[in-house]
Amino acid sequence: MKLSKVFYNGLIKDNPIFVQLIGMCSVLAVTTSVENGLGMGLAVTGVLIGSNLVISLLRKVIPDKIRIPAFVVIIATFVTIVEMFMKAYTQELYNNLGIFIPLIVVNCIILARAEAFASKNNVLASVVDGLGMGLGYTLALLILGGLREILGAGSIFGKELFGPAFEPALIFIMPPGAFILLGILIAVFNSVRKKKATTES
Amino acid sequence: MNEILKLGLILFIITAVSASVLAVSNNITEPRIAEADRKANDLAKQEVLETAEEFDILDEGKLKEVAGSNSNIIEINEGYSKEGEIVGYTFKTKVKGYGGEMELIIGISTEGEVTGINILNHGETPGLGANATESYFTDSFKNKLVDNELVAVKDPSEDNEVQALTSATITTTAVVDGVNIVREIYNSKLAN
Amino acid sequence: MSIFTILISTVFVNNFVLARFLGICPFLGVSNKIETATGMSIAVTFVVTLSSIITYIIQKLVLNNGLEYLQTIVFILVIAALVQFVEMVIKKTSPTLYNALGVYLPLITTNCVVLGVAILNIQEGFNLIQTIFNAVGASVGFGIALILISGIREQLEVADVPEALEGFPIALITAGLMSIAFLGFNGLV
Repeated sequence: MKLSKVFYNGLIKDNPIFVQLIGMCSVLAVTTSVENGLGMGLAVTGVLIGSNLVISLLRKVIPDKIRIPAFVVIIATFVTIVEMFMKAYTQELYNNLGIFIPLIVVNCIILARAEAFASKNNVLASVVDGLGMGLGYTLALLILGGLREILGAGSIFGKELFGPAFEPALIFIMPPGAFILLGILIAVFNSVRKKKATTES
Repeated sequence: MNEILKLGLILFIITAVSASVLAVSNNITEPRIAEADRKANDLAKQEVLETAEEFDILDEGKLKEVAGSNSNIIEINEGYSKEGEIVGYTFKTKVKGYGGEMELIIGISTEGEVTGINILNHGETPGLGANATESYFTDSFKNKLVDNELVAVKDPSEDNEVQALTSATITTTAVVDGVNIVREIYNSKLAN
Repeated sequence: MSIFTILISTVFVNNFVLARFLGICPFLGVSNKIETATGMSIAVTFVVTLSSIITYIIQKLVLNNGLEYLQTIVFILVIAALVQFVEMVIKKTSPTLYNALGVYLPLITTNCVVLGVAILNIQEGFNLIQTIFNAVGASVGFGIALILISGIREQLEVADVPEALEGFPIALITAGLMSIAFLGFNGLV
């Protein structure tokens, strides 16, 4: 498989959020602003690249029977490393994301990529797959975080957009807004894909 | 049996390697984290008591003596100027807001003025109660004398009036009450 | 915090699914039928409570001696092992229970409610009693949300939903409306 195709699959075609519909918890929880979304996206991308790399390296060493616990240990290690460095260097972001940093461990995307891709492909392809999937996840977070911040707070990256007369729709930065917006976004994504599929055929 | 042993051994090796990697990266980041924690902590105190350069935390016995039966007061610090003179106190206290507990830090100078307040942690509604973290709200407590009970109103004009948050009465009351309790503790125990 | 406050808070005000966004995958994945939703809820309650107690004890006895940084890795291994163990025990002792819960058990390891509750217990500085009530409250809250939405989704099966919204999107929007309803509990504690 060509590397560019692996990357494109992760970013768009098999986008973990919009297409595969996995790893939703953190997407809904941390997207109260674009900045949080971006931070979380990069943290997950880092873990994905790291775990894909190591798992691909060890794919011939790890026996099939214990692969799941072994994968989980490797993933948890990377999550903890990311957590430590965020605590040390970007404390405010770390506080904003809170419990969702350690919870990257149970983010289905990472285990799914380990199982479906990294344990079967070579190192380079696995790293590219991690990068693509990670950025695909980040892209979803950015879109959702951006929309929620614009609609719910009237700002983007903390900068006011509309002046004092704008009355933001608070519901969008509260939990219900996350569910509803993500539902609408997936619906839009679905219908665009369907339209594309029909025109191609 | 042999196979189980082999599987166990491999898993054990992976776990051991992981643990050592983590120990190493913990060693690298630990001093940085402690430093960042200390800085954030100092900064929070300094923001509400600008005249102080150094802070000295009251130990538990002293804290009990000052706060009395009030278990909401988490921490009291004495603030010292560059010359080593005591210039005021910072109080960390928790109050019950709309969305659960809120943590406040309040500074009071030895001249008997509220030097500043800040909201450290809260679960208030974004856009409503969460506006308590905005400066237009917290700044309205600045330079209030500790002699009078503070009240929140929509358009503060009197000396003892602070800004009320629109559509967030419970949050406003919680913060104002918290400041008033600290004010009373200061008056009865710490003011000379 | 009193245990009563913890219960009300975790079940209604800060519902783990609708306000804290933990356990969304099973919430959307197994909420097609009330029956499966109930089975999942019971299995989750069981595992969450048990794992909370065990991780709490491990944290106090082992990790608090300078090994705090191993928390994530130890907790997830404990949870995975526990789920396996529970599955084996139930299979041996009660085939009926196994038939009812067995299929859900493997799914629970990656349910973030389990790890989330375990970490939150430690972060909030709860004691053992508070930990147990927090765990029970969290899983009951999860169960309520799950069973409620499965009831709604059973009705949606026969409703005329716009094509693009079918399946996941409409479930998410339903969850959003439920979340609005749960906002009404705000300010209770």
